[in-house]
Amino acid sequence: MNITPLIIVELYPIFIWFHDLLRKIGLSGTVLNVFTYSLLGVTVFGVLSLIALYLVWWERKISAHIQQRFGPMRNGWHGWYQTAMDGLKLLQKEDILVVTRDKAVFFWAPVVCFVAAFAAYIVIPFGKGLIVADLNIGILYIVAITTFTVISLLMAGWGSNNKYALLGGMRSAAQVVSYEVPMVVSILTVIIFTGSLSMVDIVNSQSGLFVNWFIFRFPFGPIAFMTYIVAATAEANRTPFDIPEAEQELVAGFNIEYSGMKFAMFFLAEFINLFTVSAIATTLFLGGWHGVWLPSWIWFLLKTLLVVLLLMLFRWTYPRLRVDQLMEFSWKVLVPITFANLILAGWMKYIGWYW
Amino acid sequence: MQTMLSFFKGIKELIKGLGITGKHLGRHATTIQYPEKKWTMPERSRGIVVLLSDKETGELNCTGCLLCMRACPTAAIYIEAPRDENKRRQLKVFKVDNALCCFCGLCEEACNFSAIKMATKYEFSTDNKDDLVWDMKKLQEIGLDVPYIDTRKKKPAKPVGKKPETSQKNQEQVNDDIAPSETKAGEHHVTSESSEPPAVSQNSISNDENTEKKDGEV
Repeated sequence: MNITPLIIVELYPIFIWFHDLLRKIGLSGTVLNVFTYSLLGVTVFGVLSLIALYLVWWERKISAHIQQRFGPMRNGWHGWYQTAMDGLKLLQKEDILVVTRDKAVFFWAPVVCFVAAFAAYIVIPFGKGLIVADLNIGILYIVAITTFTVISLLMAGWGSNNKYALLGGMRSAAQVVSYEVPMVVSILTVIIFTGSLSMVDIVNSQSGLFVNWFIFRFPFGPIAFMTYIVAATAEANRTPFDIPEAEQELVAGFNIEYSGMKFAMFFLAEFINLFTVSAIATTLFLGGWHGVWLPSWIWFLLKTLLVVLLLMLFRWTYPRLRVDQLMEFSWKVLVPITFANLILAGWMKYIGWYW
Repeated sequence: MQTMLSFFKGIKELIKGLGITGKHLGRHATTIQYPEKKWTMPERSRGIVVLLSDKETGELNCTGCLLCMRACPTAAIYIEAPRDENKRRQLKVFKVDNALCCFCGLCEEACNFSAIKMATKYEFSTDNKDDLVWDMKKLQEIGLDVPYIDTRKKKPAKPVGKKPETSQKNQEQVNDDIAPSETKAGEHHVTSESSEPPAVSQNSISNDENTEKKDGEV
């Protein structure tokens, strides 16, 4: 049980050690499985909530510094627990309910949004061995589960009984459905070469030098990465594709009637979605947790945060697209490019011109 | 082909935009953390109104001529200065309601005795509106460490300039005229000050006379 030096390097020995401990206590079979998976779920949930809180803080700081302000500075060093305080405030706030709401739909919309945002993390490898369940349909599962966000936004729009909310919900449905196509096709480009939908297999196929990462596999890799990032920005409802919550047109969009903790759930889910698309980009294109010298989970975090930084820079650089421009860009530009790229990749795989 | 070219040009522009935001991300903030750090205000900025006092004697420069009270467009200044037996004005009450003050600086311009000044200080927020009415004592205390140039001593002893005659006429008119309207009196005063700054004593006396008559009428 010499795990002390290993803790600093890798995290998975801790989980293995804990699993062995539980088995020694006498748990076995179904009980052990239920216990370990619920424990893992709580851990992932806690870590991700923390990450989402800090992404909010980070976004505020980055936007502030781009505009040459300070951003939050009061709570702690450079306001490091500002968002935790905001969360506390939202917890205490009155939950204002519209009288004309659709009760069940209004209540379940933030829950669906929150759960859908977290459920994707079952198959994301945070590091070497750090994966809740290595499903053999991993990436397909993620694509399927993250689309639940659309349903939740539609539910929020419908349940609020508010024209702005409904417009926001409808817009988000139209947007996400049209951007799902180029995103999935970009992912397919990678899957052609790995031959597997499992996230662990995808990561392992990029092991070795960094030239093995899919982003460096010319010419299809960079194109697939770029199209994926653009589509992912739209998937996460972020500027320049944030028409579901375009403040100037829709006041606040789908979440206009939500307040207190329900609003906080939407807000946190938004940032968790941001982290999800960045994590998928890392896993598919940037070699996942592969890297030298540093422990695997630190590599994963570094790469993911780099992609998050890129998306944040997008948000504070580009102006918002109009609805028709958005659709036009998806169907007339992204879809042709991704399909051409897919065909090119398939051809290269067939004749073997790849490494 | 043309569309392809414009497409790549567009991508180039997008990357250029990212570069600009990235560059700004690395820069220092231009704003400051207010209560911890403060701007040093420019010397001539107009903040709170203070009363200046003589450096040697410690007495107020104010003679109670009510010119600033008349000049004030928002009636933020309230002065009570009744006459004593020598017909000299004794300053009893000098109040400035900072809630009304619009920081125009007209009182400072109107004053002939460098008695009132807009200091560079600007922080006086309270949770009670009544606290914003400052009395003579407080205004004097704040004015003690306000640097100023005593313009009284710098004024030339004899009238200089082109329009001494007209201004003299004006003064005569004022003196002769028993009941000049307030605005007129103000105009006269301004012209007399700008064109012909007379000696200290003369100026003060004449002004006193002016105000005296006006007050008497009003």
